[in-house]
Amino acid sequence: MKSALKNPYIYLMFVLPTIVLYFMFFIYPTITSFYYGFTNWDGLNDKAFIGLDNFVNAFKDAEFRNSIWNNLIILLFSTCIQVPLIVIFSLLISSVKRFQGFYKTTVFMPSILSTSIIGILWGYIYNPDVGLLNSILKTFGVDTIYWLAEPKLAMFSILVTNAWQWMGFYIVLILAAILAIPKDIDEAAMIDGATGVQRAWYLTVPLIKPIINVVIMLSIAGALRVVDIVLVMTGGGPAGSTDVMASYMVNKAIKFGDYGYGSALSIIIFAIALILTALYQLLIARRQERIEY
Amino acid sequence: MPATAKKAIPHIFMLVYVVIILVPFLFVLFSSFKLDNNEITQHPFGLPKSLSFDNYKETWVKAKISVYFFNSLYLSLSSAVVGVFLASATAFALTRMKLDTPSRWIYQFVLIGMLIPGNVLFIAQYFLVRDLHILDTHWALFLPYTAGALPFSVLLLSAFMKSIPHELEEAGTVDGMGAIRMFLKIILPLSIPSLVTVFIVNFLGNWNEYLLANFFISKDSLRTLPTGMVGFRDMFQMNYALICTGIVFSVLPVLLLYMVLQRQIIEGLTAGSVKG
Amino acid sequence: MKKKLTSVLAASVAMSAVLAGCGSNNDNNNAASPSASASASPSASASASASPSASASEPAKVDPFSMTVRHIQIGEPRKFRLAILNSVLDNVKKDVPEVTFELDGVEDSVNRFTKLPAEMAAGNPPKIFSLFAGAGDAQKYAKAGRLLDLTPIIDELGLKDKFLSVLDPWSVDGKVYGLPIGGNTEGVFYNKDLFAKYNLEAPTTWDALIKAADTFKKNGITPIAVGSKAGWVPNMFVNTLIGRIAGENTNAGFITGEAKWNSPDVVSAYQQYADFEKAGYFTKGELGKTYDDMLNDFIAGKAGMMFDGSWRNSAFTDQKDAEGKPAIGAALAGKVSYIALAPVPNGKGDQTAMNANYAEGYGFSADLNDSELAVVKSFIKNLYSDEMQLRGLLEDGVLPSMKLSDESLAKVTNPLLKEVLDALKNASKTFPHFDQIVQSKVYSETETQLQKLIAGKATAQQVGDAIQKVQDAENAASAK
Repeated sequence: MKSALKNPYIYLMFVLPTIVLYFMFFIYPTITSFYYGFTNWDGLNDKAFIGLDNFVNAFKDAEFRNSIWNNLIILLFSTCIQVPLIVIFSLLISSVKRFQGFYKTTVFMPSILSTSIIGILWGYIYNPDVGLLNSILKTFGVDTIYWLAEPKLAMFSILVTNAWQWMGFYIVLILAAILAIPKDIDEAAMIDGATGVQRAWYLTVPLIKPIINVVIMLSIAGALRVVDIVLVMTGGGPAGSTDVMASYMVNKAIKFGDYGYGSALSIIIFAIALILTALYQLLIARRQERIEY
Repeated sequence: MPATAKKAIPHIFMLVYVVIILVPFLFVLFSSFKLDNNEITQHPFGLPKSLSFDNYKETWVKAKISVYFFNSLYLSLSSAVVGVFLASATAFALTRMKLDTPSRWIYQFVLIGMLIPGNVLFIAQYFLVRDLHILDTHWALFLPYTAGALPFSVLLLSAFMKSIPHELEEAGTVDGMGAIRMFLKIILPLSIPSLVTVFIVNFLGNWNEYLLANFFISKDSLRTLPTGMVGFRDMFQMNYALICTGIVFSVLPVLLLYMVLQRQIIEGLTAGSVKG
Repeated sequence: MKKKLTSVLAASVAMSAVLAGCGSNNDNNNAASPSASASASPSASASASASPSASASEPAKVDPFSMTVRHIQIGEPRKFRLAILNSVLDNVKKDVPEVTFELDGVEDSVNRFTKLPAEMAAGNPPKIFSLFAGAGDAQKYAKAGRLLDLTPIIDELGLKDKFLSVLDPWSVDGKVYGLPIGGNTEGVFYNKDLFAKYNLEAPTTWDALIKAADTFKKNGITPIAVGSKAGWVPNMFVNTLIGRIAGENTNAGFITGEAKWNSPDVVSAYQQYADFEKAGYFTKGELGKTYDDMLNDFIAGKAGMMFDGSWRNSAFTDQKDAEGKPAIGAALAGKVSYIALAPVPNGKGDQTAMNANYAEGYGFSADLNDSELAVVKSFIKNLYSDEMQLRGLLEDGVLPSMKLSDESLAKVTNPLLKEVLDALKNASKTFPHFDQIVQSKVYSETETQLQKLIAGKATAQQVGDAIQKVQDAENAASAK
């Protein structure tokens, strides 16, 4: 009778569509990316193998190095600045009883919206002439600031928008973990006379370390994925100052027709993602013991 | 410090946060009713002089938002539904059927997909879609969207289905149930919470996708909301009141849905990211 | 159990049917909308009767079909050009009643640098599309076999001798692959009211130009409006500076190696641009400003001058569009003048030479069936006619790319347009913009490097060196 669950045909029927789709849209493109990456293909003419030229050029390419750097800035900003803020805000929300639901719903809201719509919205907020930000600053007598046109400010402006969109998501994530901590631990500490800040730092934060790790991990992955917001808000400009690896790759391929080079860049992005994930797992996640309570 | 003041501190910080989240929306909403850029610059924070819906009419006609909206809706829905269905069938086979060796291999094989950042495959997928002759059709998005969600969905659903007690199917096999009925009648209903999670994650992912939609579709009538709205912005880049109206149109339905389903959406999305 | 399986399969088939159904539904929706908008456009062209030649060559019975027309006539400033396109399509529909057009309006640089290149690589360009001339665009695609050879059609329609001698950048090996809808020159628009207000002379000499710029700057007015978010916009000025400072033949020499981007002359053209930048003559925050923002600033009186293509003159007319709405800059009608850039002191070459381009036009997919080919023929016949050329000139301020009779030219009454024609007439010779000469990678590099120069991230010499490096590589590649 057990044979029902051993029937290989039914098994195949369950598994095959997934495998076929997955192979077609993940494995096959990965293989072809590698293949294209070693050619000088321009999409129009015949391609020729050029060995490692694309990869050598990529590391000589100052613009690409700059875009790696920008990804790194996003990564550092989201892990070193956003994550502490996220933890603080989650602690704040968890410490109140009234409006807790309202806060949670509101801060989470931007993360369900389309990044490109948010890009349009914030492009308008940053508009030098009619935008909200300069309108506010003008009442304080501040001169017009060109948020997205000034090379030094543009990346920062995008970082703020990105934070605005995603912080709430992570706050809710951590908040759930905080609220799952048994109340008696906290109450015992309260009886011992620990202040709110002390309890948060010595009790809650250690208990939610695993989830903070998850948030850091997701932030790293997120920092490497950033591309929509750049394409919509600045297109990588001004003068390449907001280009990230993915936007640079897309532009090289589509705008310059350098599909071979673009494919090589995508392999490099893939490699960087793998290295960062592995490093994080080795250095940090492994050392962490799961805390059971 | 008095206790009430102390209690107020978190609220003050949170209020600032909430204001930062909400003010951009209000600004856009107010701007959408204003006549022109002039009125926006002169009274950036003021309520519009008169509540005129002219911008709304004009935007609706000019931007084809209804078309974009419908495209996004049915693409996101269909590929999320198909994705959930395929992934759950696979997860069932991997976790509940007794072919352990292939299951282990397939699981590892699918796991690789989790390591590949989506936009890395952009160029290769573009040419794949071209070679399939589906460029500039909705299939060009439906297939990558469905496929793109598979690794995550299979892993999440496998984890969930593994935790369902095996006694259930044993009872089922005694009753003479086949594998397919067992899947549909026992496992699928029990997995509904995780199915909903997977569905929401996939749906919103598709709903918001920009990169593929921008390059795989060039016909205006096939565009989805994210790319359609960017095109609309490029077209009316000088008329901020109109652009704001477009933003309101594209954001409002999502926000309404969020208000109704906020608990499911929040739980679905957060659970999805943690378990994944 | 079998039953279950079939129902599952049925469900998934139904799903895909829904998907396909929705897709085709949509097509229908959309096919309806452009034709509706087309019929709303002026029917002035109705008089151009459908000649039977195109329809006669068609098969007896053709099922209704749809063709995509990719154009760049979007937004307020280009509405007069869109009206002309719509008239042409209306006429084509009289020739080939089975066709419906799906208009796909895309922003100019998005079409040129993003959409078309990707579609050309993928081999699925629209059937009819806006195309740019030159090595980086039309000629590149023609060589790759993506474009329809128009030579037989031109011969058949007897258009061969009607065009000015402007088809070279559209041709490969004597075959024509695209046709320019018109021409333009790039020069200085200036606001006469503002010049009068500050007692300034027209910027016909370099000294007058500098004096005007300084005066505007002192008074809080932007001297020269520019929107450099897209690199082609400031590149217009750079192109003319290169012509003035390094000589009008420089552009043509880049691909032969006779001229170099990092030669002292070209570098000093870039240096001139950088000096203007440093002096604060350009719009503040220009790297975030779009091309339309630039026009907007000029119309709003925030800027005294702008360096732009002559096609912009139609923004400053008092004519109304089909809906009775005025042109976007109607407030400045009669208050704007157009002149060539003043001679640059110590500039090499002919200081009265002027840039002239016939680079914007239409191309057609090489992959057409017979009915589609009939539509393309009719499209060419209707678009490249005396009537539409004249309409283009009068309504849209675009210089004709075909020979018009003096009688027709005499119909130009718009003073600004007359100034454009005069400026060109007074030019001793003309030279094309380098954007239709150099390879596309080189051109893209000029945009990237110019934006760096504007951002202060590169010096004029570095800009020249970087572009020349790409130029060398491309020249070497094409020599192979």
